[in-house]
Amino acid sequence: MKSINAKHNIVAYSFLLPALVLLGLFLLIPAIMAIYYSFTDYYLLTPQDRTFVGFENFIEIFSDPTFLRSLQNIAIFVLCVIPVQVGAALGLALLINKQRRGNMFFKVAYFAPVVLSLVVISVLWLYLLNPSEGLINEVLMQIGFDPQPFLTSPDQAIYTIVFVSAWQGAGYQMLIFLAGLQNIPSDVYEASKIDGANKWQNFIHITLPLLKPTTILIMITTLIASFKLIIQPMVMTQGGPMNSTMTPVYYIYQSGFSDRLIGYASAMTVVFGLLIGLVTLIQSKVSKEDE
Amino acid sequence: MKKFSVLLICAVIAMVMTACNGESENASSESKNEVSVWFHTSKETAEAKAMQDIVDQFNEENENGYTAKMEFIPRSGSGGGYEDKINAALTTDSLPDVLTLDGPNTAAYAKSGIIAPVGDYISNKDDLLPSIIEQGTYNDKLYAVGYSESSVGIFYNKQMLKDAGVDLSTLPTVEDPWTWKEFKELAATLTEEYDVPAVEMGLDTKSEWLMYAFTPFLWSQGGNIVNDEKTKATGTFNSDKSVQAMNFVQDLVAEGYTTKTPVEKGFQTGKYPLKLTGSWTIAEMANSYPDVEYGVMPYPTSPDTNELVSPSGAWQYAMAASTEKKEAAGAFIDFMTKPENLKKISLENSVLPASKSIIDEVKQEVSPQMQVLIEQNAKSGHARPVLPEYPQVSRVFQQTILDLTYPDKNDDIQKLLDQKAKEIDKALE
Amino acid sequence: MDKRLKKIIEYVLLILLACIFIFPLIWMIASSMKPESEVYSDMGGIQSMIPSLNPSDWFTTYQELFDRFNVLKYVFNSITYSIAVTAGSILINAMAGYAFAKFDFKGKKVLFGVLIALLIVPVETLIITQFTVAHDLGILNTRLAVILPMIANMFFIYLFRNFFMAVPDEIIESVKLDGANYWTIFWRIVLPMSKPAIATVGTLSFIASWNDYLWPLMVLTDSSKYPLQVAITNINSTPPVYTNQVMAILTISTIPLVIVYIIAQRYILQGLGGSGTGIK
Repeated sequence: MKSINAKHNIVAYSFLLPALVLLGLFLLIPAIMAIYYSFTDYYLLTPQDRTFVGFENFIEIFSDPTFLRSLQNIAIFVLCVIPVQVGAALGLALLINKQRRGNMFFKVAYFAPVVLSLVVISVLWLYLLNPSEGLINEVLMQIGFDPQPFLTSPDQAIYTIVFVSAWQGAGYQMLIFLAGLQNIPSDVYEASKIDGANKWQNFIHITLPLLKPTTILIMITTLIASFKLIIQPMVMTQGGPMNSTMTPVYYIYQSGFSDRLIGYASAMTVVFGLLIGLVTLIQSKVSKEDE
Repeated sequence: MKKFSVLLICAVIAMVMTACNGESENASSESKNEVSVWFHTSKETAEAKAMQDIVDQFNEENENGYTAKMEFIPRSGSGGGYEDKINAALTTDSLPDVLTLDGPNTAAYAKSGIIAPVGDYISNKDDLLPSIIEQGTYNDKLYAVGYSESSVGIFYNKQMLKDAGVDLSTLPTVEDPWTWKEFKELAATLTEEYDVPAVEMGLDTKSEWLMYAFTPFLWSQGGNIVNDEKTKATGTFNSDKSVQAMNFVQDLVAEGYTTKTPVEKGFQTGKYPLKLTGSWTIAEMANSYPDVEYGVMPYPTSPDTNELVSPSGAWQYAMAASTEKKEAAGAFIDFMTKPENLKKISLENSVLPASKSIIDEVKQEVSPQMQVLIEQNAKSGHARPVLPEYPQVSRVFQQTILDLTYPDKNDDIQKLLDQKAKEIDKALE
Repeated sequence: MDKRLKKIIEYVLLILLACIFIFPLIWMIASSMKPESEVYSDMGGIQSMIPSLNPSDWFTTYQELFDRFNVLKYVFNSITYSIAVTAGSILINAMAGYAFAKFDFKGKKVLFGVLIALLIVPVETLIITQFTVAHDLGILNTRLAVILPMIANMFFIYLFRNFFMAVPDEIIESVKLDGANYWTIFWRIVLPMSKPAIATVGTLSFIASWNDYLWPLMVLTDSSKYPLQVAITNINSTPPVYTNQVMAILTISTIPLVIVYIIAQRYILQGLGGSGTGIK
């Protein structure tokens, strides 16, 4: 099987061909084009006037308050959503991880939001959180609280989106943690029981270390996914109020399409793409050293 | 496994079929006499239905055998709207033969050669309203033809005003308008009486509405967005006059006369006594809330100038410069803007008439509320700035209005406008 | 007693949490099964979680929705796209995974490295230039434009590769001696042995494609080709907007996914890092 010859190469590449063509067309070429356009002043309406402008776009985006704000927002989002969502998932998994009546129902209930698409949860929560007539505020008022401007206050909107995103994703990650928990052999616990350890010590010294690979994996995927946040703010707040939920991907979309500034949007694509790549690399390096 | 491969083959066949479908559809529209048209609402709207009726008529009657195929592309609130689609089609040279565009976009589209002049094809040109000609003209050529006009007024619930002790006979009219001060007094009375923000102004929408409905306040005070040369906003958008106008808008929020989070349909269901809205609400009231008695007042004016200014402008038809069917496309636009069809559009969608000859006919057939808007438009309609960079300018302005609605965060209006003027300058560069 | 108390507290906690997770779904379904006025008059009470007390009202909203919009067309579109993407994804990614798993070809290491690097390219940011490519291929506003970009996926290739690695070389060698060519081996031996991988990739592709929003929104101008997700925002912004009708379309677009999750629950978990991580 491991003989290298020309025919072998041809066969291998013929198997690879369809995937390579599609990946090339829809991933590699667009990436290269984005890099190329980022050095031009390409304005959608006048492609004939496209000229090379060097680093001008890059200089400009770093003095663009909206872009800087979007970076700040995505940092807030990522830093909040990881502990909230992963923490909730771990907590739920620990709660569920024991034999009791009705466990199946609870498992299904916590998992239920995962089945909804992002568009569906965004529209649904938009109605639930409506400031003057949504269900949530109606209930708050009945128990004596003031109605909250969840999506209409620049101080709250991004955290509301964090909550909605975590609400949707936690159930899925709970199942992954659960699988991790069930892989821990019970005799490890037995042994530590003999040593006189209590439940809490068990959790700190056995469960957590053994769950570490699972946790890291979940964190990395959450991280990469959260960077691409666009649908929730697009549907729920249109990036507002006062740009408090504008995200880089959304701003790229807006600059490229609504404002027709392809060159400018491409420069943001490049900067943000590099940023994501960098964070991902650091994250995987850190987790490798840990192991 | 066998089952699986059968499934797979079926799916692949389905894929190929759908692909071919796409091809054949494209091929059919390649026929020489069929004009492809993009329209900016989803086909379920009343406007689209009325339009489709007229198009069907065109398809039946046209002597040269021209036909038109409408594609309805909604202008959705959350991204991916009609204008994004147009932009996208531009990059890729896949525009239809005829498209609709909003008045303020004429300059950008004409300047970059996306749309071609249509003046030579329009037989009804002299009859169109000056405002329609104005918004469709760029460099002295007519590039786009509006099929309706629009206006905005203060809608009021007659019963609620009466109950609050307001004498309806003293309310302002287009001949005898009112000032911001009087507007605030009325709002204060009603806010007090009903313990809700008196006037719903659509501050919860982030759309062209904000630009369209709030610029008249600026103009009435003598402020503006960009200077007369249309090169800079700094010095104009952050001038004292602009600050005063924006102060008035912010006061309405700060004093609780309006809200940035209005209840859906609050005016229609009798929660709010006043609403700043356009002619489309007249249709909605007639269709869904026939029992509500309401009237329409003109825009309030700046107490310093007493000048009545109201918004105007509407969607128009234009021919794509890339079309190879100029004659057919021209004939289509001409047909859509014939007086009898303009009249049909006005009456069926309750929009303002776009040509002079039909104003009186339409006025006889429409409600008194609509008459107020028609009069106001004729007297004080003010077009939005004609700028190639309009989309960005409009967005910054919308953002400004939205930011104003947070008085505790933006109490320094001068500072806010300085910053926003800079943003507009950047777009104008 | 102490034990019982603990148990009660535990259950109260579990039930409270369950409420947080499912009340929006219940409200969604309940609201779609009552008249618009009741949606608002019930708001805040327990009644808001219960469909209309008059069973004849249950499906009126759906009737109204179907009268206003061509919902069946949107459902059909979504199903077509998802099935096509799923089939293409299984076939094409499995082929590539097979090449990486069982062949030593020139440039394998480099190519694999490049593809892994592409994994971290945030696809969503490339949307503008992807669009230009779609146009140059002449597929804008066709169903193909929705389907093609979703098929090849590095993560799925990786998943297949790992699975095929486990297929013993001896089996393949022995079949080869019988004169079978590579395609036959792949089709007859390797694929049938990897049903779990196929099911996993199939499930995940289906879900990802069903939930895709931004891309179809951009490439389709013809609303009769819209998938459900795009139709939702379209319906939510076509005045007059009725809350009960919006909830009805949300419910309709969720039902097929519920079915998929129930049928394929065993395979969903293996998709960590693929789709369905909640925040995409």
